Amino acid sequence: MKRRTFLAGLAAVPVAGCGLSGTPSTGSSATGQVTGEITFQTWSLKPKYTDYVNGVIDAFQKKHQGTAVKWVDQPADGYLAKVMADASAGSLPDVVNVPPDLSFPLARAGQLVDLDETLEDAKPEYLANAWQAFEIPGKGGCYGFPWYLNTGPVFYNKALFRQAGLDPDKPPTNFEELEKQALELAEKKIAMLGQTPSIADFGLYGVKLFDTDEFTFNEPKGVELVELYKRLYDAGALIPEALTQNYTGAGTKFMAQQTALNPGSAYDLGKFKTDAPSLYANIGITTPITNTGSANMFLHGVSVPKSSRNQATALAFGRFVTNAENQVGFAKLASIFPSTSKGGDDPYFTTEDGTDEARVRVAAAKQLKTAVNYTPVQFSDQMREALLQQLADAMLGKKSAKQALDDAVNECNRLLK
Amino acid sequence: MTHRPYTPWLFLAPGLAICLMFTIFPFVNMVVLAFTDASALGGGRFTGVDNFVRMAEDPKFWVAARNSALYMAGVVPPLVLLPLLVALLAQKAVPGIGVFRTAFFTPVIASAVVVGLIWTWLLDSRGLVNNVVEALGGTRIGFLTDSTLLLVSSMVVTVWRGLGYYMVIYLAALANVPKDLHEAAMVDGAGPVRRFWSVTVPALRPTMVLVAALSAVNGFRVFSEIYLLSGGTGGPGGASTTMVLLIQSVGRGLTGEVGYASALSLVLFVVLLGLLLVTLKLNRREEQL
Repeated sequence: MKRRTFLAGLAAVPVAGCGLSGTPSTGSSATGQVTGEITFQTWSLKPKYTDYVNGVIDAFQKKHQGTAVKWVDQPADGYLAKVMADASAGSLPDVVNVPPDLSFPLARAGQLVDLDETLEDAKPEYLANAWQAFEIPGKGGCYGFPWYLNTGPVFYNKALFRQAGLDPDKPPTNFEELEKQALELAEKKIAMLGQTPSIADFGLYGVKLFDTDEFTFNEPKGVELVELYKRLYDAGALIPEALTQNYTGAGTKFMAQQTALNPGSAYDLGKFKTDAPSLYANIGITTPITNTGSANMFLHGVSVPKSSRNQATALAFGRFVTNAENQVGFAKLASIFPSTSKGGDDPYFTTEDGTDEARVRVAAAKQLKTAVNYTPVQFSDQMREALLQQLADAMLGKKSAKQALDDAVNECNRLLK
Repeated sequence: MTHRPYTPWLFLAPGLAICLMFTIFPFVNMVVLAFTDASALGGGRFTGVDNFVRMAEDPKFWVAARNSALYMAGVVPPLVLLPLLVALLAQKAVPGIGVFRTAFFTPVIASAVVVGLIWTWLLDSRGLVNNVVEALGGTRIGFLTDSTLLLVSSMVVTVWRGLGYYMVIYLAALANVPKDLHEAAMVDGAGPVRRFWSVTVPALRPTMVLVAALSAVNGFRVFSEIYLLSGGTGGPGGASTTMVLLIQSVGRGLTGEVGYASALSLVLFVVLLGLLLVTLKLNRREEQL
């Protein structure tokens, strides 16, 4: 008997420790008095932005006497797990920093406060495309104050272009040129790209990603993009690791000068300067490759869960953190951009001072006016993995481009339900 | 001296509470969830054996089960034999042997993430190993980009990491082999090889079975090596996914299918328990012989 108990312990496997509870609890009223204590959770802002966040909290507490904001910063690693655990237990912090793809499942499960309903006058304060990113497509309602945005140029390695006999001042501006130049680089055994297309790349190519209530990126234009990548892969223009690579992995390969071109952001430029000076010396900066005329945009926001016991204060704080003044202050520190309708007018985002950083910043700010958050909010981590796996099969020739995309779309639509 | 019947329970209480909270309760919860369609955000209806029917039809499950079985088959023989050989060498009382013992044990205490990163750099298509291969006139090998080679590379890392751990188990067992048996064998004219096969191996057989059982369970449950070497993707097209990687991939995040992940965990548990019971039975039979 004893031995059996030992064995059972030894064979214990990872178990899902989630209960069958999780009914969203409703906290206080959204229209109450702005007073009392709230908790504010951010995504990896300590220690670099500690002073900034504390400054915002102090200003809020001064403006609303009798309030106290407790700031909790969670590291990026495990952030999702923390939000998941809190959401399952119905104990999310009063104000929580989430990107749209995290706010969507929470909103769909009825756990977040609808800002369209509770703060009718807030919408005009933000950029329309940023506000829209926190809506449930087709159902309306907005479930997060848009916070900081980012978009960026495409970086390329001029030294590798020169090595392959390409003009380093003429980087590709569209997908056709991208393929032509990538094949020329491949002849000299230089890979142009470090990853297979992400869902946002399909959007940039002009593929219709989602319609009403299902994914549609297996349309002919999507197949065309995968076939283009297949030609690149076969020629060696796509590194073999692309089949298992995510965005960070591809960025690392570009930094190691193993690929010639990679999309990035103003933040990356600073990273090249400190972490890869030999790349920085040869860095080329160009506009994003897009068939739609609109660049891709990433954004973060702050949401207020329905379970908050102090919704009125939480909503006031969420709006305060994301107001134009506070966002511009943050953007000046962190190579990001404000999502407020007024913040972008600041001379910091419209005037160049001759440095590469300012050039990238001004170009990105301009780009943001028409940028689109291509990744549908419904596109979960599991769907990203399904797409990556199907694309790998297409690149290896195990499946046709059409078959791989059909399978990816079917899996995404199954996961959607 | 009065004996109060609840006294032993008072001593047991802290350990039992921890065991109940962190082992028994999650385990029971997992079994319950395996029969529901629960998601990460709670809810979940009782769905009977639907998750198991889906599993039987899910090609990803079969790929993961096959890979886990292959993994186990690949790592158990080297993990039973190599640490024994290393232990025999490390057992010798030679000056400076402590340095070697420490060297062999270092991978055991090293962080799995650090180990994974080092091996990724080594085996990358532009990594050290491939640079050497190319310098010697060969063509680059897709250690991390070919699904079969990725599995083999992970097995190598598992063996490398496990070597020191099982070596320590063997060292302890070797210290318990009676010296007089060796002396008697020497008197009878047995050389070192004969003594190894006729004295050391029989004395170590129960330890070898234990090492085989432990390494089989760990092999079947492999996660960190394959996760790190494949960048969390389970290899190209997910063709190198193992059971635990599949459970993690299905159940993670706010959109995770916790019910299905629990069903997969339950199947994994049953397989491992079966495996251990078979090993135990074999061991008992040997003891009786």
